[in-house]
Amino acid sequence: MTPLLRFLTRRVLHSLVVLFGVLVLVFALVHLVPGDPVRIALGTRYTPEAYEALRTASGLDRPLLQQFLGYVGSAVRGDLGVSFRNGDPVTVTLLERLPATVSLGLVGIVIALLIAIPLGVFSALREGRLSDGIIRVTSQFGVSVPDFWMGILLIGLFSTTLGWLPTSGYRPLFDDPAGWLRHIVLPGLTVGLVAGAIMTRYVRSAVLEVASMGYVRTARSKGLSPGVVTRRHVMRNALVPILTITGIQLATILGGVIVVEVVFAWPGLGRLVFNAVSARDYPLIQGAVLLIAVLFLLINLLVDVLYAVVDPRIRLS
Amino acid sequence: MRMGRRAVAVCAALVLLLASCATGNRVDLGGGASSNLIAGIAGEPDQLDPHKTTAYFSFEVLENVFDTLVEPDAQLRMQPALAQSWETAPDQLSWTFHLRPGVKFHDGRPLTADDVVYSYRRIIDEKLANVDKFSAVTEVSAPDPATVVINLSRPTPNLLTNLGGFKGMAIVQRENVESGAVATDPVGTGPFAFAGAKSGDSITLSANPDYWGGAPQITGVTYRFISEPSTALSALQAGEIDWTDSVPTQRVAQLRGDDSIRLEVTPSNDYWYLALNQAREPWNDVRVRRAIAYGIDRPSILTATSYGTAAANQLAIPEGNPWFTPYDRYRFDLDESRKLLQEAGTEPGELDMLVTNEYPETITAAQIVAANLAPLGFTVRIRTVDFATWLDEQNHGNFDMLMMGWLGNIDPDDFYYAQHHTDGTSNAQKFSDPEVDRLLDAGRVETDPQARHDIYARAATRIADEVSYIFLYNPSVIQAWNPDLSGYEARRDGAIRFRAARFGDT
Repeated sequence: MTPLLRFLTRRVLHSLVVLFGVLVLVFALVHLVPGDPVRIALGTRYTPEAYEALRTASGLDRPLLQQFLGYVGSAVRGDLGVSFRNGDPVTVTLLERLPATVSLGLVGIVIALLIAIPLGVFSALREGRLSDGIIRVTSQFGVSVPDFWMGILLIGLFSTTLGWLPTSGYRPLFDDPAGWLRHIVLPGLTVGLVAGAIMTRYVRSAVLEVASMGYVRTARSKGLSPGVVTRRHVMRNALVPILTITGIQLATILGGVIVVEVVFAWPGLGRLVFNAVSARDYPLIQGAVLLIAVLFLLINLLVDVLYAVVDPRIRLS
Repeated sequence: MRMGRRAVAVCAALVLLLASCATGNRVDLGGGASSNLIAGIAGEPDQLDPHKTTAYFSFEVLENVFDTLVEPDAQLRMQPALAQSWETAPDQLSWTFHLRPGVKFHDGRPLTADDVVYSYRRIIDEKLANVDKFSAVTEVSAPDPATVVINLSRPTPNLLTNLGGFKGMAIVQRENVESGAVATDPVGTGPFAFAGAKSGDSITLSANPDYWGGAPQITGVTYRFISEPSTALSALQAGEIDWTDSVPTQRVAQLRGDDSIRLEVTPSNDYWYLALNQAREPWNDVRVRRAIAYGIDRPSILTATSYGTAAANQLAIPEGNPWFTPYDRYRFDLDESRKLLQEAGTEPGELDMLVTNEYPETITAAQIVAANLAPLGFTVRIRTVDFATWLDEQNHGNFDMLMMGWLGNIDPDDFYYAQHHTDGTSNAQKFSDPEVDRLLDAGRVETDPQARHDIYARAATRIADEVSYIFLYNPSVIQAWNPDLSGYEARRDGAIRFRAARFGDT
């Protein structure tokens, strides 16, 4: 086996253990949290007869262990059960929501990188000067502005005032590429600006740390041009911490940026999970958390592989 | 910084490209009559089975997909719908309904009396959420395909309201239910047929050309789920949607002067109330409950929760409604409160107030109540929980005071019996008063309209005098739409009916 293949095999096995752990935790948590799914499904129009009838129909009267084993059994076969609010297969619902979430995550992270890398590097190279100060203050501002406020401001400017972009909604990329682009700009920008502001600060400190290394001084004293020093010696080495924070940010966005989804009426995973928790829709909560865990594991795996690509000293084995 | 300049150029080109793409939200095929209506609603329906859902978002859609035997008009009087006429036996224990001929389900199958029987039996036999509406029903039968007979154990003057007050009593199709599709792909007889849904995004209905009330003039309705009110308003102002009820309350005053949208603020029959847990001391003493009723500043609560759009009311039902009873016993009077507390010999202490973030007005009001009651010596502990937990806590009687609302109230039996009768299923505050019980039992079976009216006026007054609930206010139905949209009106029961909607003046 090649080192990469061996690495992947080991990671997949690890991931399965982690996933099982996630499953046990989520199952325990949703059942421990106060709030009865049957009670909330009936709302204020409650009668004891209706309550018992719905409880039996949902299978919630069975012993907990039996419910759990049944769930794991079908999850292994890819069947995450059916939502007990509308009877929809959870797997189908999750797959329906995934494209919107992945779109927003990727566009958001690209915008964040487009902001963070130039600004962070620039800021670090001019440490202590006025331009560094301005970038630091601006990024602090970006970190502090609540994303719902940023979203409302962007809608006010680009939709209501200028009329350039739609206020809200989502179009699938493959059905309507132009519509997809028009609809994703504002939420993508909101996510990207916030993540970009956070990442700018990481990029700046990563670059600063590398720039103070001996080999950078050596490179400079060899007479290499500042551009070459920055690209080959500083950036290359600063990439590892930047990759780490990028992975974390991307995973966070994919896990659901609920506020942005609410402001832009975006059909992502965040709102789905929020509604599922409010309704105590156990199968849907479990399925969504499982999916988010899988996304986290995949991104971590990707980041680990990329570490080895950018820095050959890091060995996958 | 060559890279920087290129990036700016790319961005500028991108913005231009985006700006040049057509907005193209509504496909207008020429002539206002052929348009699709886009409605912005504040949340996603949990499911579309009218007998099982309890979510208002679901009913905003289902109102246009399903029919009931009878239905409320704008004044909330019951009018023929799937039933064209009906008669009552002399003993009031049997009602015969004659179905409208020629009604078809959206899949083309004709509606028969069996469907009505099936729908009602489903609610009764499976004990679904609205089973209490049939508490007096002993038998539902179909002697022929055009006739439905309902037998009762006691006279039920509000049977029509029970059968048609809202679409939770809709006539469903057996095949649609038995295949399990009704929750996600419902088949009804209403003015619009379900056409499709995108999870988290929208639901689309298409016009039913065979609708018994006449084919709609619009081609369909798309409901978009826009929970942030400021986004919904921006979308309306930008022309992306035609109608919304997700309007930021704090902007109502400003929007009244805006000609670019039509804003409607209609007093509703919904009401909000406070309730004290009478299974606990000292709230079992009516003097203490009255002390609280005098101790709260209602106008402040109303202003803070609704920005002045609601109507103050010390009983459930607002003016302009047949069940309205004038009543103004309580005012903000701390001296009166102190006197009552002294009479009762109660030493004010902690008060556990249960509120939920599902309804932010309960949190706002709780803060005012806490400030109001502090001078009396009460320490109000505000406990904010999610709605599932709230329902649990309410159910287990784990609270001193709570705030909640009742929606879509038409007949007083519906909104008084369950809440204030000793055996009521929603009497979480454990109120028990023999006089109120007697009146509510009598009102249920009284068939003379005037006598019934008087019974409920007495019951309502006594409920407030004995402080089963501290009624606060009736919120308004607040909706905004494109001024080009006509044939639509905001209704006080909150039912959203697009059957007569059209664009332009055609």
